[in-house]
Amino acid sequence: MARVGSYFLGHPWRIIVHSVQTCALAHYVFNHQYSFGWGYGPSMLPTFLVDGDIIIFDKHHRRGRDVRVGDCVSYHIPVTPDEDGVKRVIGMPGDYVLMNSPGATSDRMIQVPKGHCYIVGDNMPWSRDSRDYGPLPLALIKGKAIAKGQIVGCNPWKWFEPVPNGLAIEESS
Amino acid sequence: MRPTWARLLNKPSFPPPKTKWFHLRSSPRVRQFGDFGWYLFVIASWLPVVVMANDHFFELTRINGPSMYPFLNPDKDRSLTRDWVWTWKYNAQTKLARGMVVIFWSPFNPETRVIKRVVGLEGDIIRTKPPVPPGHVWVEGDGDVTQDSNTYGPIATGLIIGKVTHIVWPLHRVGRVNWEEYAEKIRHSP
Repeated sequence: MARVGSYFLGHPWRIIVHSVQTCALAHYVFNHQYSFGWGYGPSMLPTFLVDGDIIIFDKHHRRGRDVRVGDCVSYHIPVTPDEDGVKRVIGMPGDYVLMNSPGATSDRMIQVPKGHCYIVGDNMPWSRDSRDYGPLPLALIKGKAIAKGQIVGCNPWKWFEPVPNGLAIEESS
Repeated sequence: MRPTWARLLNKPSFPPPKTKWFHLRSSPRVRQFGDFGWYLFVIASWLPVVVMANDHFFELTRINGPSMYPFLNPDKDRSLTRDWVWTWKYNAQTKLARGMVVIFWSPFNPETRVIKRVVGLEGDIIRTKPPVPPGHVWVEGDGDVTQDSNTYGPIATGLIIGKVTHIVWPLHRVGRVNWEEYAEKIRHSP
């Protein structure tokens, strides 16, 4: 440790350079590997709480890479720049989806266009999603929610639980 | 000063001279991987900086398609060389103006980047179509062979990666992109 101290002590330039490198490494991890965020809002009840849930995102699924129907994804809200949202994918390119909620006045269906997906919140009456602004370009997807939880207690293994794909077809034997 | 015979035969002096990284190199923890391992570590430590710069600040981009002809790739039918442009990525999704040349992810193909010109901002009415919704812009290519907002409608500003600020190659057209000139050509009522 003494050597590391003498390496930095009295060398402000080294401190700046290595701070930049450390920030860049953190940026790489949070933007290309895994990141976390705090969920807020009622739109994904009961999967995510209104407030207080920490969500872990897998950034390998950015721009819709290997996203399946039923996955919870974080995305750039198209109508309000600078805001990100978390919703569930219910249609991938080529799928036919209901334009409105089930049981609404109109039962119109559309085919999700090429390069787009259809996202809807789990709490349908309190969600602003593709039913309002139409199919979402896959390129706006930032990552896939893989775990959720709260930091309660002393055992880190009990803090988080996986977010399952809610629409996966269960294998029946 | 080393002895003359040592300098002529290029023999290392003893003790070895103190180099720039002497403090860390001489620690046993680092030295166990050898000098090559140390240089590898120094290079690897700069890779995330390059990634961050390309993600958020600037990037050199090659223009392949004919969509911005004749502004970019004017020699597309005469030569195989393609234009290179300098893309500025910081605050790319804000402070957009009519006439700016932007690069964004194609709405139809999320792994393809396309270059177009911003023609309409949110609230603008483009040729009897509905107004551009909030958070969206209307983009069009300069050329005739182009797939733009006339095909896929207004694009979300979140798709925009960067603004093209300079042409870097070929050399005879190096310079700043004067997008303001084009902004005046776009007919709009305030």
